[in-house]
Amino acid sequence: MMRWSLRIAGALVLATPTYTPAKPIAFADGTTVMAEYGAGTMKEIQIFYAPEYNYSLGGGHIEYDSVETPASQSITYLRLNYLLHRWNLESAQANIFVWGGAGSATGNTFRGAEFAGNAGAQADYETRRVYASLQTDWEHASDFSHRIDTLQLGLAPYEHDYDRLATWLLVQARDYTGGIYRGTEWAALLRLFKGGAWVEAGVTNEGKLQAMAMFNF
Amino acid sequence: MKKMIHMAATLAVLAASSASAATIEMNVNGLVCAFCAQGIEKRLRKLPATADVVVSLEQRLVAVALKDGQDISDAELRKALTDAGYKVIGIERSDESIAAVRARVKQDKP
Repeated sequence: MMRWSLRIAGALVLATPTYTPAKPIAFADGTTVMAEYGAGTMKEIQIFYAPEYNYSLGGGHIEYDSVETPASQSITYLRLNYLLHRWNLESAQANIFVWGGAGSATGNTFRGAEFAGNAGAQADYETRRVYASLQTDWEHASDFSHRIDTLQLGLAPYEHDYDRLATWLLVQARDYTGGIYRGTEWAALLRLFKGGAWVEAGVTNEGKLQAMAMFNF
Repeated sequence: MKKMIHMAATLAVLAASSASAATIEMNVNGLVCAFCAQGIEKRLRKLPATADVVVSLEQRLVAVALKDGQDISDAELRKALTDAGYKVIGIERSDESIAAVRARVKQDKP
């Protein structure tokens, strides 16, 4: 599911593929550590550091398991996340992020290790009550190619402040190409964060768990 | 000569007013999440003259308490916030303590 892209953001952190987190770069001089489990199709860990607010560098490891075939791949990668543009509005923020990376992939449908490249983009809009993001993440190697497109729409039942727990209810739609999953996968998610800690969990339309934990410091 | 004395007096008053400011409050656009606040707080606490920082998403406010006898220029503050990824709309200096600002922000919460 997610491929190595998605997370980062945040400061990197957050990032990549499967479920897109809020932002691939958290804040300047910030380190982000993230772990994610995506509905039986992906597992990922990442660590990123953002020297400035508009880019972050890091790496991670992701494993993809197709639910349609016995194919699986593992990729260890390095990645750069870049904030292409940010709109700071009076009570809202909107961003466009792009990222790219390279790594080494192994799998059960090919021998040895091969080069894998990754590229993606995310557009998001957020107030303290509404969240929307659209992300595309593409991962390519000579023996496989995945693209995952993710739409998230969220609503906060109350407006949080810095010293208060933030609660978000989200609906996610994800479309896969490359044989990991057929059709569009839907998920309902509960996202909680306070300070630098972020946890999120939910279920897909097939009743499978999707979860993520992220720490920014 | 009279003009010069008047200008010097005005500058002296402005300088005294700036030096005596206990807190600087900034109105900031784009403050919507804890990560925003965390990044801004981290950036401002690195400034040598910063004694304390309060961030309120509700009030779109970032307040900096100054160490005794020290100051941070408006340009430095704007740069710090810009470097953190946010936009400063206004800057105001006051003698209000950071504790009072913190209490006011809490009181104003819905």
